[in-house]
Amino acid sequence: MKNSMSRRQFILAAGALAGSAVLAGCGGSSTSSSSASTDSSSASTSSSDDSYTLVKDGTLTVVAELGFAPFEYMDDKTGDPEGFDVDVIKAVADKMGLQCEYLPNQKFDTLVPLIKQGGKADVSIAAITITDVREESVDFSEPYLDSNQAIVALKGSAETRETLNDASKQVVCQGGTTGDDWITEKLPNATRVPVDDVTAALTGVQTGLYNAMVVDLPVAKYMLTNSFSDLEIVEEIATGEQYGIAVSKDNPNLTKAINKALEDIKSDGTMDSIETKWFGSTI
Amino acid sequence: MASKHHHTHADVPVVPDALSAEEAARLAFASDQTLTKHHFTEGEHPIVRIEHLNKSFDDTKVLRDVNLDVWPGEVVVVLGPSGSGKSTMLRCINLLETPTAGHILIEDQEITGQSKTDVNKLRREVGMVFQSFNLFPHLTAKQNVMIGQTKVLKRSKEEAEAEAIKQLTAVGLADRADFKPPQLSGGQQQRVAIARAVAMHPNVLLFDEPTSALDPELVRGVLDVIRDLAENSGMTMIVVTHEMDFAREVADRVVFMEEGVVVEQGVPEKVFDHPENARTAEFLGSIG
Amino acid sequence: MSINDATARPNEDGGTGVIGAMDTRLTWEGTVGDNEQVSSITLSLPEGATFDHSSTRITVLDGLNRTSIEGTATSADNSMSVQFSEDIPAGSLVRLEVTGMQFPAEGGDYVVSGSYTTADGQSHALDDSAAITVIANTPLQAAVSWLDAQPWVAAWNSNPFLGMFFKPQLLLASFASLFPGWLVCLGIVLICYPFAIVLGLAFAMLKTSRHKVLRAIAICYINLLRGTPLFLQIYIMFFGLPMVGINIDNNVLGVIVMAVNSSAYLAEIFRAGIQSIPQGQYEAAASLGMNGFQTMTSIILPQTVRRVIPTVTSDFITSYKDTSLLSSVGVMELMMFSKNLTTTSGNITPYMAAAIYYLIVTLPLIKVVGIIENNIARSERGGGPRPKRRAAADASDEVATAEQDLASSATVFHAEASKPAGDVFAALSAPFVSHPTVDLGGVADGE
Repeated sequence: MKNSMSRRQFILAAGALAGSAVLAGCGGSSTSSSSASTDSSSASTSSSDDSYTLVKDGTLTVVAELGFAPFEYMDDKTGDPEGFDVDVIKAVADKMGLQCEYLPNQKFDTLVPLIKQGGKADVSIAAITITDVREESVDFSEPYLDSNQAIVALKGSAETRETLNDASKQVVCQGGTTGDDWITEKLPNATRVPVDDVTAALTGVQTGLYNAMVVDLPVAKYMLTNSFSDLEIVEEIATGEQYGIAVSKDNPNLTKAINKALEDIKSDGTMDSIETKWFGSTI
Repeated sequence: MASKHHHTHADVPVVPDALSAEEAARLAFASDQTLTKHHFTEGEHPIVRIEHLNKSFDDTKVLRDVNLDVWPGEVVVVLGPSGSGKSTMLRCINLLETPTAGHILIEDQEITGQSKTDVNKLRREVGMVFQSFNLFPHLTAKQNVMIGQTKVLKRSKEEAEAEAIKQLTAVGLADRADFKPPQLSGGQQQRVAIARAVAMHPNVLLFDEPTSALDPELVRGVLDVIRDLAENSGMTMIVVTHEMDFAREVADRVVFMEEGVVVEQGVPEKVFDHPENARTAEFLGSIG
Repeated sequence: MSINDATARPNEDGGTGVIGAMDTRLTWEGTVGDNEQVSSITLSLPEGATFDHSSTRITVLDGLNRTSIEGTATSADNSMSVQFSEDIPAGSLVRLEVTGMQFPAEGGDYVVSGSYTTADGQSHALDDSAAITVIANTPLQAAVSWLDAQPWVAAWNSNPFLGMFFKPQLLLASFASLFPGWLVCLGIVLICYPFAIVLGLAFAMLKTSRHKVLRAIAICYINLLRGTPLFLQIYIMFFGLPMVGINIDNNVLGVIVMAVNSSAYLAEIFRAGIQSIPQGQYEAAASLGMNGFQTMTSIILPQTVRRVIPTVTSDFITSYKDTSLLSSVGVMELMMFSKNLTTTSGNITPYMAAAIYYLIVTLPLIKVVGIIENNIARSERGGGPRPKRRAAADASDEVATAEQDLASSATVFHAEASKPAGDVFAALSAPFVSHPTVDLGGVADGE
């Protein structure tokens, strides 16, 4: 904690130094040259009121749970992050004149605490629904996508929202997701099983270890089409939840800059083309 | 536990079948009369017969055609330099080592080539005292003496306990009955080990260098116990040792072995004072 | 307009109950009738509930699609109403999430009633919701609330590290809520361990057997289990067994996996322990006429048990900690509870509480291991001379290897060799020792 604080302060200082002293050419390190390029494109100068800090100058450092296709997943061959969210954050970073860099895969339930703590990543974009509880820990950008939940069970299992609300039923979810919350509140009698990994959860449903899974509807659709053909969506839950990009509360200007960039990619058609690429149509 | 050495050598010596009991007794009587202080009785048979005993460890021949008869109540002391095969011979007698070839008979019963169960039965007849005591460290002195009696001879606990106290008293350790081996000195441990062997009332008691692992000042106490057994128990004893004075005093017969062969044997006075064999003389000279 | 559902978010720290007089979130969901448009909704709760300081999130959906409609919420004691910026079309689903409201302190079953206004200005009553069960404040919650009010707690939590890792309120709540998980951990390891010991002993016997096939079976079993991570074994068993049609209760399966895994390690410990018993012990037993079974049960195993107690205890500690891996497949043990709690609270403190629950068991056991090790080292050094010559030479070589083996399988018996490990134990158990654990070499000697 102490470390990350001082690192952030150091970057601020380095930014200030670069802004004012590039011409003097002192301490000519890669840090100063990259922050100089940041300055030119994102107007992040020490004198300006809307300056923000970055973990790594010139780069938007992103953290996500990379097992949530089609929003973010690792490419089979390259291991690079792919998906709707990845394209969105790349487009956002592009508008901000920043490089985009992903940290290694993190568990979903650690994403919000990690952004809150700061120091490791600037933002997290991982199909994170904007909720009151999460807003106590982090700031969110404006919503960039609407979503819903789904109950997934074995084909022909005859499970419903009503039959699942029973102590003998194990309902699995990814820990810390809105699906997790939904089970807690709407299926209070069921045994809720939060796991780390969507694939493990769905495999468990497939093998009969769990009775059903509650997961974001687009993910359920994608996974069932691509890998789990013997499962089906037994109920679509209209939650109308909205995904946002999580940013530290210590960095309000970054949130503002991201909102500006989101507006830009919505208005110039980039968002539409990303939606079409991943969902076949605009949403 | 049988030997862990296995022999598949083609050059296993071919030895004749064991002699009949009568034949063996006749021949042994004829040859041993002058070699031992043992008082022969009419029609007596040797209690231990070793005929053409051969033992190899891998390529090393440790015993080469050893022949020896031991008479009931006789005390035989086996001498010889290290590696002469005397301990191996002793370990063959209760089958801790399996002979490569030859016969060992106890009370005219062949013990080589027996089934496992019979081997265990036989071993009750033959007690052994080891160089390194081999007391059971998790049991008290008394329990060490009792365990063979209760487990093998199926004596009652009371009976075994009474016998244990008796034998511990005989070796002068009644007051250490409830001590565990690590709390006893080496000499005390060896005396408990002797009590443990004697409590089984074996026909033959084997001593494998019983004092070699002891500090010099502890040797006497152990020898005194063995001497007492030799003089008063009437038990047949075969003792492998380096204690010359002890051998001269206690032995009915001294056997000198070298390189796996019995080189010379006879009454102690004869072997010690007028050795026939040059190697015996040399060995005794170097020791004496 | 018809009501679909009304629920409250559990606000019990580390629990699933809805507690009165504490902030919670009421979620109310209704569907607009086919022939009407709605301009405002009022929700009411019985006397004692309060909507003061609440805030409301409005979601209007047409099927699965959001309709962008805003609204203004006003609250008055036990009722609140929302005036929408535009009329909500027929057939829409409306969800109101009222955060920061409170149910009456005394608890009980409460129904949400209310009314709505249609576009034509007419007011209609809303059907009552199904009852929401609210519990009265628990003593634990009272203690948490008391902590909430303490200035020193606030000061403590204002330090980002302390607040994140050792938040007093959450620590207290965690202890209470992790308790069942701790029992599950203990239960699993205590039930599995006797089975593991029996299995381990059996495989140790097989591995030291004279029969090649039996030895091969034991070697396969032991090496497969020791050569793969427990995590993997858990996955294979939990996902694999149901796939071949075998369905076993999660906790029972957990016990089985842990027992099988531990048995492989125990087999090696027992094997090394048995082989560390000097050959002379077998010979002495044989010279008394004992058979193999008698030798094993009354001479070898009793000595082995004494020698392996420290290693087995260490293995027990490992098994106890390894039950945490079962959380990955939904066994409701300590880690599972703490993960849930961390997820809902966004705070690391529940993990700290879990750590304490683990340490409650492991620290005393570690201390016990140290004491036993010292005792054994002491009694072995008083254990009389070793054979000096002859056949004893190769026998003692064998003993040395076996002992090394045993030592490397977890802990070390001889005080000399256990120095580094001893230091760690000493450091960990420092609060528990009244004197230094350094061995002073007081050898018991009979002479």
